[in-house]
Amino acid sequence: MTAPRRGNLVTLALLAPSLLSAILLLAIPILIVIAFSFAEQDTYGGAKFGFTLTSYRELFQAIYLPIFLNSLQLAVVSTVICLLVGYPIAYFIALRAGRYAGLLLALLLIPFWIDFIVRMSAWMVLLGRNGTINSALVGLGVIEQPIRMIGTYPAVLVGMLYAFLPTTVLPIYAALSGLDGRLLEAADDLGATPLQSFWRITFPLSLPGVMAAILFVFVPAMGVYAIPVLLGGGKSIILGNLIVQLFLDFRNIPLGAAVSVVLLAISSVIIVCYMRVLRSVEEARV
Amino acid sequence: MPPDTPEPAGASRVAIELIDIRKAFGASDDQTTYAVDRMNLKIRAGEFFTFLGPSGCGKTTTLRMIAGFEEPTSGRLLLDGKEVTGVPAHQRNVNTVFQSYALFPHLNVGENVGFGLSVKGVAKEEIRQRVKAALESVHMAHAIVRKPSALSGGQQQRVALARALVNRPSVLLLDEPFGALDLKLRREMQMEVKEMQRRLGITFIFVTHDQEEALTMSDRIAVMSNGVIQQVGGPVEIYEQPANRFTAGFIGDMNLVEARVTGRSGDRLALDAAGSRFDLQSDLALQPGDRCTLAIRPEALHFVDGDAGPPIRFSGTLSEAVYIGTDTVYGLALADDSRLQARVRNSRDRSIPQTGEPGVVACAPSAIRILTQ
Repeated sequence: MTAPRRGNLVTLALLAPSLLSAILLLAIPILIVIAFSFAEQDTYGGAKFGFTLTSYRELFQAIYLPIFLNSLQLAVVSTVICLLVGYPIAYFIALRAGRYAGLLLALLLIPFWIDFIVRMSAWMVLLGRNGTINSALVGLGVIEQPIRMIGTYPAVLVGMLYAFLPTTVLPIYAALSGLDGRLLEAADDLGATPLQSFWRITFPLSLPGVMAAILFVFVPAMGVYAIPVLLGGGKSIILGNLIVQLFLDFRNIPLGAAVSVVLLAISSVIIVCYMRVLRSVEEARV
Repeated sequence: MPPDTPEPAGASRVAIELIDIRKAFGASDDQTTYAVDRMNLKIRAGEFFTFLGPSGCGKTTTLRMIAGFEEPTSGRLLLDGKEVTGVPAHQRNVNTVFQSYALFPHLNVGENVGFGLSVKGVAKEEIRQRVKAALESVHMAHAIVRKPSALSGGQQQRVALARALVNRPSVLLLDEPFGALDLKLRREMQMEVKEMQRRLGITFIFVTHDQEEALTMSDRIAVMSNGVIQQVGGPVEIYEQPANRFTAGFIGDMNLVEARVTGRSGDRLALDAAGSRFDLQSDLALQPGDRCTLAIRPEALHFVDGDAGPPIRFSGTLSEAVYIGTDTVYGLALADDSRLQARVRNSRDRSIPQTGEPGVVACAPSAIRILTQ
């Protein structure tokens, strides 16, 4: 056996576990979902494999459009809020916190070692009608009657912000902490006020981090399910709970699978576009 | 020595004045160390002034305080007669050429050079013209739309120079600007920058650890060590009349020979140095028994044979001979184990002894400088 071939075999052997799990847990399930989306619904809520476009034809009817738009709107608003809150945090940790930077990053990340549903339940307790926030406000005399927070759109946004803040902060932090401080000195030297330095030097140089943050928030936010259901009461239908409803309530497996496939397609298109833009940004810098 | 350095002739305007400037670093309570300690200095308008010293001597800290990146712990800083202590860098009419160039990587060459004008709200058309002129003056007009990363080190250096000069600062600060360039390019840039300074008449404040660079470019040099100015003067003065052991040892090659005063009559001192006894004229207040250091340039020493030649002689054993092209540098081990270097022009004259043989070197009394500090 020649050396290169043996090397290839070793590589393959070492890659086998991750390759196998990627195939078993990722590729095959996706293929199954795609197969279901082309299947036919049978009378008893099961699916008959075959090839029909019935589900997709149904999906492109006008009643589903608002659901897509709802999801899109929630994802856009969540991303914008995450950036508005996350950028200053990342900026502070990267450029102002000094030796406390590591501690602040840890504080940001530690809550995420706790299970997601547990943390959302905590928010339900906080925001509930007799929850911590209402009790405190009533107790302090700020309000007379408890405010309804659970089941409102702002409550959903609070949950989204909480869930996606670390994924916003980390890439922006990474971009900002790599910033050469001498560039800011140079800008200062050339007469730029601190605000001018920020908009002309710091912000443009942190854009790759901002774009990564957008990707990390926007794509999962498109398919989010638990947060709107737990904090928003699931009142406005978005893609996430549409899929659940189609599978579990309406027993329309092919249609549910079709919605999933469309969601996957939208996310993939966004990722491809992102890669293109990122490459052009990086090329522009060279 | 430093505080009352005499102003050179020509009563021109003072561009920068440092009054009792101190900069502490390391905030330990019991003993504060100073990166710059009690500096008093006047730099004239239009002067090419250099801070010269080894790394860690406080020269860059001084420059950064003038630029406004760091504030002095105490003391005052005057720029064009106005106090600027506490004024942020972007409000000072000085510009810096950084050692690392610090060009903005996301902006092209033209945008980099125009940055200072643009943030001050200068009209677009004027920016365009001034950027073009500035880039032409450093021979970089062809690269106006290129990104800094596409330029060589020397080209980036030129762009950094243009970016600073386009703002017409009253003072230009240069922090070891040629440190990253190879020798040939460095020489070229030294000439160019010196020529540019003459043409523009702007005050240049230059920081370097390279004494040759300082000597060739500067009108005046401040030699620094341990946060303190050791000597201020023109290149000739610094080289030929070092004020103390540090300057003598730092600028050029120098033999430092410990000597003892054995007698005094009028302005003549009798000295004993490494086994040699001789008289020197001096107005220094030295008394018999005092110690001093004699500074002698290696090129002032010659080998002598017999009584002919200069009167001051040192004898020892020739320990090495290093050929360096036009000259050969000889090492002479003296009686007290100290060593002398003699730098002799290579010639057909073979009166020089071989390594291991005894030899005598001599120099004129005027070639010896007596140092007491």
